[in-house]
Amino acid sequence: MSDNEQLMELYTQLLVLRHFDEFCYDLKMKDLIMNGFHPYSGQEAVAVGVCSLLREDDVVFSTHRPQGHSIAKGSSTRAVFCEMLGRRGGVSQGIGGPMQWIDKPHNFFCGSIVGSGLPIAAGVALAFKRQARDSVAVCFFGDGASNTGAFHEGMNLAAIWKLPALYICENNQYGEAMPVQEFVPVSRISQRATSYGLNGVSVDGMDVEAVMNATADALEQLRAGRGPVFIEMVTYRFRGHYGGDPEHTYRSREEIAVWRNRDPLTLARTRLLARGYTEETLDDLEASVRAEIEGDMEWALEQPFPTVEQATDHVMIPLGQD
Amino acid sequence: MARMSYRDAIRETTAEELRRDDSVYLIGEDVGRWGNLFGASAGLLEEFGPERICDSPISEAAMTGCAIGSALYGMRPIAEIMYIDFITIAMDQMINHGVKYHQLSNGQVRVPVVFRTQGGVGMRNSSQHSQSLENWFVNVPGLIVVMPSTPADLCGLLRSAVRSDNPVLLIEHKSLYFTRGEVPEGDYTIPFGVADIKRAGEDVTIIATSWMVLQALAAARTLTDEGISCEVIDPRTLWPLDKQALIDSVKRTKHCVVVTEAPAEGGWSGEAASVVHEHCFAELRKPVSRVCGMRTGIPYGTDLEKAVVPDASWICDAVREVLA
Repeated sequence: MSDNEQLMELYTQLLVLRHFDEFCYDLKMKDLIMNGFHPYSGQEAVAVGVCSLLREDDVVFSTHRPQGHSIAKGSSTRAVFCEMLGRRGGVSQGIGGPMQWIDKPHNFFCGSIVGSGLPIAAGVALAFKRQARDSVAVCFFGDGASNTGAFHEGMNLAAIWKLPALYICENNQYGEAMPVQEFVPVSRISQRATSYGLNGVSVDGMDVEAVMNATADALEQLRAGRGPVFIEMVTYRFRGHYGGDPEHTYRSREEIAVWRNRDPLTLARTRLLARGYTEETLDDLEASVRAEIEGDMEWALEQPFPTVEQATDHVMIPLGQD
Repeated sequence: MARMSYRDAIRETTAEELRRDDSVYLIGEDVGRWGNLFGASAGLLEEFGPERICDSPISEAAMTGCAIGSALYGMRPIAEIMYIDFITIAMDQMINHGVKYHQLSNGQVRVPVVFRTQGGVGMRNSSQHSQSLENWFVNVPGLIVVMPSTPADLCGLLRSAVRSDNPVLLIEHKSLYFTRGEVPEGDYTIPFGVADIKRAGEDVTIIATSWMVLQALAAARTLTDEGISCEVIDPRTLWPLDKQALIDSVKRTKHCVVVTEAPAEGGWSGEAASVVHEHCFAELRKPVSRVCGMRTGIPYGTDLEKAVVPDASWICDAVREVLA
């Protein structure tokens, strides 16, 4: 694939994630997404850049803001819409909701306890190492997670045992409503990785090609069995911590405008235009992506809710079948 | 049959499961070089090597999460939490993640992990190394909670736990490690949710768990001299609970005493008493009596730590009272 075709593919994925997220925002405002929706708009280059290089057998652990990672890892937009809406047909059959689901066929897990994914990803990586497989475990988490015990415990374990775990810190500048500089005393979160002997790097998380390049280097090291990698992706969420939060209480319109100037979609689009694609081609692409996502949303809105019986399915494997 | 200590039953069963299935491994603090605080994995490092007898840093969240993650992809870990008191650090990984994954995946993901730990008094270790915390876990949907009281039960239930695809919490007792008993030879397993009548009797049913089973048996021997015949039932698994065994026994004896080392309030002893009240109300001559640990942090020292948890004399008093 040429660089141009590759960038076009990445741009298409960025559009998918953005429009998916914006439709979700509207659904939340209409109370059709009932709660727990955490917008991903602004951070798409991270999910797209990292996941575009993963294989199906690589495993991803994500956060309370998982929709971008899940779709980029291969989950269908219909299934993720359904999960957001609590409908049957969702990735977790409408039982998990917007913050916690499992898409086993795509080896995707997420959960809403900040920082908890790092030890579990280390465990997946341990299994791969023991089985002499070259699959990797990728764990996405935020700046806020870097203050939890599980973050440090998990990274240390991966480091001492040289496990194939890729730790991706999406520093979107806020832990809920608190600015990162108020809760992290170092200028780069990647500095924390160096204390575990990792070569922690910080990357422009708004630039999908920069994300991809850093990920490619990381995957080479991981698949060669040379131990875990930590990458801080410096990014920004364009919307609130959750859909409809009181944003004005913690950040200014001016600040948001500055970051919106570095919109990962605009950056990719500008680059495509410079490489010879026309405005018309890119507009048509966006219109068709948006229409497809809208169609998926409408399909999802037609799906039934789970029954009470289904809500208590699979709490555990029945005795005797376990 | 081989006669062995509870500690050796753990070691022998673990070794057999490690030999039987390459995906089984043991992870925990000092399970390798030390072979566990009590010697429950002594010699296993030499036989199986460091990849399968895996000394973990003192990081309960990491060790537990690691066990869970590896269980998702083909491994069958036994994660040892050295003292149940340390499990607070691991609980997010266990309860919010490991136990939830089967349901969140609509049954597609299985998490075959055993969390082994030990609680209770007996080592003069005071309030952060001597607690009985099983009650917290009985309240978690999806988690099997096992408390074996004899070497044979330990052997059969640990083997079932390792082979189960459900997450299992198996709680040992530090005062049981050097007790001895017969352990059946061969591939001996005990299903979850099946109680055991440790002593048959006619006048009163004593339902007891873990080390309290031994106290109940001692009480039953004492009471024989007073002409009282006690039936001692060990549920063995707190959840799932063999309700029928409790009900059948109490319907015969018409009297019931529940004994736990953990404090009574908000606990499994209340669950067991409720089951009996709900199903044996017509037969009961007196309300179910509970004999439980005092509601206090476990104090330091031989005399005090024993003074705040039930012993045979507390149980004798309770039995005499329900029969009075």
